[in-house]
Amino acid sequence: MRFSAALGVAMFILAGCNSGNNDQAAATADSAQTAATPAPEAAPQQPALNDAQIASIAVTANQIDVDYGKIALDKSKNPEIRKFAETMIKDHSDIIKQATALATKLNVTPETNKTTQDLLDGQTKMNETFKGLTGDAFDKAYAQNEAAYHDAVVNAVKNTLIPNTQNAELKSLIESVVPLLDHHLQMAKDLAAKFK
Amino acid sequence: MKKFFQIVAVCFSGCLILAGCNNGSNSSTVENSGPQRDTVIIKLMAFTPDTLTVNKGDTVVWINQDIVAHDVSHFPDRAWHSDTLNPQNVFVKVIDDSSSYFCSIHPTMRATVLLKK
Ligand SMILES: [Cu+2]
Repeated sequence: MRFSAALGVAMFILAGCNSGNNDQAAATADSAQTAATPAPEAAPQQPALNDAQIASIAVTANQIDVDYGKIALDKSKNPEIRKFAETMIKDHSDIIKQATALATKLNVTPETNKTTQDLLDGQTKMNETFKGLTGDAFDKAYAQNEAAYHDAVVNAVKNTLIPNTQNAELKSLIESVVPLLDHHLQMAKDLAAKFK
Repeated sequence: MKKFFQIVAVCFSGCLILAGCNNGSNSSTVENSGPQRDTVIIKLMAFTPDTLTVNKGDTVVWINQDIVAHDVSHFPDRAWHSDTLNPQNVFVKVIDDSSSYFCSIHPTMRATVLLKK
């Protein structure tokens, strides 16, 4: 049940990242018929995210995992969970630093958007779940959420952020995060498997 | 007057040294003797090259060109290891033995330094 909660959050994030907004899908379909310019074939359903919005999503997604890591250090006594949480805090903080520095250099001000808000809403829900848990139950929920969260973020990065990013340097930075996220995902899955 | 000659002498030897430096690359005997320096790049969650072959006593320089911190640790016991290498940080080690190493922060990152037989 806890796992499905984590998955729910993941699906939520994915949905948010992929189409920005499910309830706008109908409206998009309607307007597509009257739109003057035909939509590009590769991504017919995706409302384009601009680089400022992508920067905001990138920073928010990383910050959320830093925050989850801090909760884990606060609540967990399990050495493996703690080591994993420390790595998440360090890695995702490093990415934020790079992303922020690049945004500054490119004169891009991160712009809050629907996906950013969806991510933050997901975090609020997850924090509520974490609040009620201690000991092994917390460790298990944390590890499972990390696996689900990284899975969702990897997918969003590959399928939504990278294809939509316009600036070459920003695109390259986001692309270079993928192997790291894949590694985190694998570590999280291995960790979660220990709590079955 | 004596001082003048000293200055000239210093200038002259300076020129010689400079000339020596400039022409140094022409003398191949210098290149082959003494310890060498090799570089391993840390980027995109990997050590490149993942197998490096060196002579005993050579120096290896690891450069972290990735977007996150890594370390260089003897596998599996961290008998020797670098500090945490933040992006753009460098670790230098003289190699006396073949060894496998890994990043203790991201343990799937593994590589090897081999001694030439
Ligand atoms: Cu590493």
